Amino acid sequence: MSTTRHALFHTLLTVLSLLMVLPFVWMILTSLKTLREVDFESWLPAEPQWRNYLDVFEVIPFARFYWNSLFVASWVTFLQVLTSALAAFSFSRLKWRGRDKVFFLYLATMMLPGLVMIIPNYQIMVALGLVDSYLGLILPASFSAFGTFLLRQFMLTIPSSLDEAARIDGAGRWQLFWEVILPLSRPGLITLTIFTFMGNYHNFFWPLVMLRSESKYTLPIGLLSFETQSGQLTHLLMAAVTMSVLPLILIFVFLQRYFVAGIQAGAVKG
Amino acid sequence: MKVLRKYREEVAGIAFLLPNIVGFLVFIMVPLLASFALAFSNWNVQLHNMFQTEPLQFVGFENFRRLIEQPRFWQYFGNTLFLMIGIPFSIGGSLLAALLLNRDFGEKNRRVRGRLLAAAVMGGACLVLAATGFNLGAIWVLLAVMASGILLTGVAGGSVVYRTLFYTPHFTAGVATFILWKKMYNPHSGPVNTALQPLLDGLAGIVNAVPGWLGDLGYAVLGVLALLVVRWRLRAIASNLLDRDIGLLAAIISSALLFLPVALAALWLPYHGLGPLILLAMVALGAREGWRLKRGLRGLAIDPAYRLGENLMFSLGLMTLAFILVGLGRVLYHLPAMASDGLNPPDWLIDYHWAKPSIMIMALWAAIGSNNMILYLAGLKNIPGELYEAASIDGASGLQRFWHITWPQLAPFTFFIFVMSVINGLQGGFEMARTMTQGGPAGATTTLSYFIYIEGFETGRLGFASAVAWALFGLVFMMTLFNVKFGNRYVND
Repeated sequence: MSTTRHALFHTLLTVLSLLMVLPFVWMILTSLKTLREVDFESWLPAEPQWRNYLDVFEVIPFARFYWNSLFVASWVTFLQVLTSALAAFSFSRLKWRGRDKVFFLYLATMMLPGLVMIIPNYQIMVALGLVDSYLGLILPASFSAFGTFLLRQFMLTIPSSLDEAARIDGAGRWQLFWEVILPLSRPGLITLTIFTFMGNYHNFFWPLVMLRSESKYTLPIGLLSFETQSGQLTHLLMAAVTMSVLPLILIFVFLQRYFVAGIQAGAVKG
Repeated sequence: MKVLRKYREEVAGIAFLLPNIVGFLVFIMVPLLASFALAFSNWNVQLHNMFQTEPLQFVGFENFRRLIEQPRFWQYFGNTLFLMIGIPFSIGGSLLAALLLNRDFGEKNRRVRGRLLAAAVMGGACLVLAATGFNLGAIWVLLAVMASGILLTGVAGGSVVYRTLFYTPHFTAGVATFILWKKMYNPHSGPVNTALQPLLDGLAGIVNAVPGWLGDLGYAVLGVLALLVVRWRLRAIASNLLDRDIGLLAAIISSALLFLPVALAALWLPYHGLGPLILLAMVALGAREGWRLKRGLRGLAIDPAYRLGENLMFSLGLMTLAFILVGLGRVLYHLPAMASDGLNPPDWLIDYHWAKPSIMIMALWAAIGSNNMILYLAGLKNIPGELYEAASIDGASGLQRFWHITWPQLAPFTFFIFVMSVINGLQGGFEMARTMTQGGPAGATTTLSYFIYIEGFETGRLGFASAVAWALFGLVFMMTLFNVKFGNRYVND
């Protein structure tokens, strides 16, 4: 590419990036305002209130909520990626009778709005004695038709000639899964990791229904505390959201390098 | 053991599925069946709870009957479908973003890189200087500083930087985003209208200065252009059909789509006598192609859905183009009357007619850098580089490489994204409505999922809410069945 085209691309991407980042900027600027300034037209605070970030920890047990969120989202992500990968392998690589019917059942469950399943799911949690526990947050989210569907689509793009080659080399199904398909699905696994972690980190409704004791609150529930009787503490809310977003950015920046590397590099040569 | 050997593949298949399916049955299937039973009951939290143990009754199809009889259900259903018009644009936007970001900007050539860096520094400095020099206010200076910062890190760090920035709407997904857009759309103090007002004032000045018949002329020209686009596409479909290059069903569906904008134009026509004339012209146009086809179609026996997906996309694109032409024409026609007493920007979320478009704009913004973009990026990485090498040896142009390599190779991803977008579109809008509009004005932004939320969690009629959800499920199910039937075939070709 010529220098001019490079420059054009960079300009275009900069303008688009700026559009994408604006709300984020607004959020950070609002987090530096005083409560009175929040409703003003100007985006800028008269004087940046860095104290807001300390106040967050004093008004609510923010560190506790932070830890809860990270803990729950990490476990859910680990379990969901694991179970989804196993099921996706079965749906895409093994040929057993009734397979496509079972898969269609999985697909079909995604089409029912999750809202209505919350009440029956709550009753199940009561029956299992898991209300107001971490396990009650983690378990129902760990099995996902979406994740299975996503990874199956990824695994379908891996050439089936690899399976035959592996079988000729005497590899069993577990070896095929663990040593061939799983490494080759890395972009898919990382994609699902990002989606699941973000989705569960932001999850609002289920923790709201499940949790009783404040010590187990996750961030989205904990942040409701800023809506006090006397009104909303928007400036503190925005400071808290800004801080809560940091791990997501870190995870994204760290993980996205891997799907940039691509899977074609070493695996499917020749 | 013999039995085991016979069903070896089955045993292995189920063994791999086991950890998933146990959780799936307990936490997805059981609640799902329970909600199905609820849909036929009269469970209302206010009547049936710990303190009031009135017996729960099963009422058969009563909930569904009530649902169909309610006009607001149909209104909310229409809202949901209307908001889904944005889906193809969102998908196209994220594909474009992914294609842009897939390029490697980490320029290896040190001289080029040095020049780019120097240009970025100078460009950024100019921006900042201009913002301070013209006294544009602190916020503009800040934006200029940010733009030059992004430019610099982008040039130095490559596409990683842009990729992360494009994804930021997703980090704050949900409430924070909605609150922000609500403030941006504020008709009086919001930045959107503050920026639009001077532009519209200028436009009104121009419109008032030119003669009024120019608007009519513009409408006519654009309408004819739209008709020409439709005609061109119809002829292409017809000759493809003769060449056995498109299935019959695919041809019918992709032609039918094209008539929508024309029909709309006829409905909107200012001179009512002309409406039937246009419709007649349409029928004549169709009949002529049909007659031409009738002779060539004998012995036509190919798969009716052959190349459906591709043709559908193409027709959808042209349909949008025709819609835009007709819409612009209509704006031109009405502009003189509107501009005579000054143009004002819309009231966005408060205005009944603008509320849905406002939300679609926001959704488009959020969707471009969304999970779909990530999926496309991952998909692009999956395309073997040899394909492109072979194509460039054959001397294929950029566009040809896209149509013959990138697009078909991405088909499984497009299929997945489309299916999920339709599912999410039909189920969406609950969080948006809850934080931004409360479903208003006059129910204009109430989607089916918000309706379920109101019925189930605010009024407590859980039985009725489940019935709505299952009606919705029926819809999604049919749509997905259609997608799988025709989309999957296309993907596997």
